[in-house]
Order: sequence, then C-alpha cells, then structure tokens
Amino acid sequence: MDSKHVEALLEKYWNGDTSLEEEAQLRAFFAQGDVPASLQSAASLFRYFQQEQQKKLAPSFDARVTKSIRQRQGGKIIRMVNLVNVARIAAGVLVIVAAGYLIRQEVSKMYPEDTYSDPKVAFEETKKALMMISKSFGKAQQEAGKIKMFNEAEEKIQSPKADNTEQKASI
Amino acid sequence: MDFHMFETRVLPVKNKLFRFATRLLGSQEEAKDVVQEALIKVWKGREQLNDVQNLEAWCMRIVKNLSLDRLRSSQRRPADGLDSHADIRQESLTPHETTELQESMKQIEQLMNALPDKQRQVMHLRDIEGYSYQEICEILEIDMSQVKVSLFRARQAVRDQLIKMNAYGL
Repeated sequence: MDSKHVEALLEKYWNGDTSLEEEAQLRAFFAQGDVPASLQSAASLFRYFQQEQQKKLAPSFDARVTKSIRQRQGGKIIRMVNLVNVARIAAGVLVIVAAGYLIRQEVSKMYPEDTYSDPKVAFEETKKALMMISKSFGKAQQEAGKIKMFNEAEEKIQSPKADNTEQKASI
Repeated sequence: MDFHMFETRVLPVKNKLFRFATRLLGSQEEAKDVVQEALIKVWKGREQLNDVQNLEAWCMRIVKNLSLDRLRSSQRRPADGLDSHADIRQESLTPHETTELQESMKQIEQLMNALPDKQRQVMHLRDIEGYSYQEICEILEIDMSQVKVSLFRARQAVRDQLIKMNAYGL
C-alpha cells in the first residue's frame, strides 16, 4: 500500500467515514512497522489500539467464574437446608402455642362461668335455690324434732326402771 | 442455554468485556469484578437469552450498565490512566526506543481518557474492538447519528492533540 493511498484513507478515518474493512487496512499498514515519518503520529495511535487489544484477563479467571456459577447451582441445596431450619423453628412455635392454649383451657375450667347475663333472672334463680335449701332445712328440722321426742320417751322409760331397782334393793 | 454453550459462546468474550470495563472504570481490578458479575448475571438470566439476537453486544451492554452503576454509586469519573500499560518489549528496539514508545503510548492513553464519556466509549468500541455502528448502537443504547457524531468528534479531538504533541517535538 503506497503512502498516498494511506494518507487518503487516514483523511477519511479522521472524518469518521471509513468502513470496518478500510480501518482494518490501516491497522495492517501501521502494524508492519515501515512507516514514513509524516505518518508517525497516526502510527503511534494505531500502535496504541493494537497494544490495547492485547490486554487480557489472567487464565485463572475462567476457573473463578465457573466456580461461582457452580456454587450458584448448588444454591438449591443451601436453600433446602434453610427450609429445614425454618420448619424446625415453626414446629417449636407450634408446640408452644398449643401448650399455651391447653393450659389456658385448664385454668378457665377452675373458675365457673356466669350462667346468667340478666341480673333479674339471676336473682330469681338464686332465690329459688335458697328457697329449696330452706325448705329442705325445715323438713330436716321436723325430722330432727321426732328424734327429740324419742329421746324424751326413752329417758322417761329409763327413769321409772331405775326407781324400781332401788325399791327392790331396799326390800 | 446450558453450561457448555456458556463456555463456548459467552466466556470467550471475556477479554473484550474486560477491556471495555477497564476503559469505563479506569481500574483493571474493578473491571475484573464487573466482568465476573456480568457473566454471572448472564448465566442467571440464561432462560431469556433465546430472545437476544447478538449475545456479544448483550454482554457488552451488561458490562456497560454495571460499570456505570459503580461509577454512579461512588460518584466519580474514571481515573485517568491509573493502570499500568501492557509491557511493550520488542526485540528490535533499544531500551531508549522502548522507553520512548512507552511514553507515547501513555500520552495517547491520557489523551483518549480525557475525551468526554460518550466519545471515549464509541472510539474504544470502534477502534479497539472493531464493532460496527449498529453494534455500538446496541451496546450503548443510543441511535446511529449519535454514534457517528461521537466518533467524528473523538477522532478530530485526538487528531488535534496528536498535531499539538508533534509540534512540541514529542
């Protein structure tokens, strides 16, 4: 490629009119080293581009990436382990809640609940209950009165007997 | 996409991704992290990849977005030529010539990194990676006219700077 052609291409290049192929031609021209003095500054620019293209990641990079991707695939297992832990905690909470509920029920059984909400009805019922108790009590007293009569009669029978034995002794 | 496809179609693009991320971030270490992050992202989203026409441009776009996110979160501009340059050792050159060459490479790097963001990105994708205008549109998510204008301005700016450097005998 003669330098005139290169100069024309370079002019196109500076104006942003070159195609990818023409830019490749320029790169190839400047890479071969034998560059006229007038084109030295452009040559250093193209040399810079070439040098930049050589920058690469270290070979160990691939291993680093594939390792982290594999770890990500294993992530499902880690998530399963987390689920098991969550289930354990949930079971613990459930046991505590159930125990609490049962204890509450036991405690509430010890205190009888109110059966009436209306005070008037409650009063009537209480009165009825007290009447029943007093009736039974009166009945019981009557019965107890009979026992008293028995006792008195027994005493009377016992006392003449005692007199008789005393009389016999004196005879 | 299975793992074999990932190894044969996505992993080989890694160096292009790395160079682009380095250009955006100005740090090779950070670029390495971003490329790894991008590749993992591609793998995670492999189910949707059937709709992607140009896988390489897709990967480049992910790298661009991740790099810009990083820059945004740390609120900084890419560091200008922070990293060391590739070792230029040519048998035919004397140590003096090698130093001179390294010096001029360094200057061009600084010159390119001093370009506005879009111009720098377009010039990198075209002149270093050899992408077509259409691919650059896809990667940078801008329209064709923006790509052409940015490339024109970038090359003009570089040309002006090179003329100035020559005028001062560099």
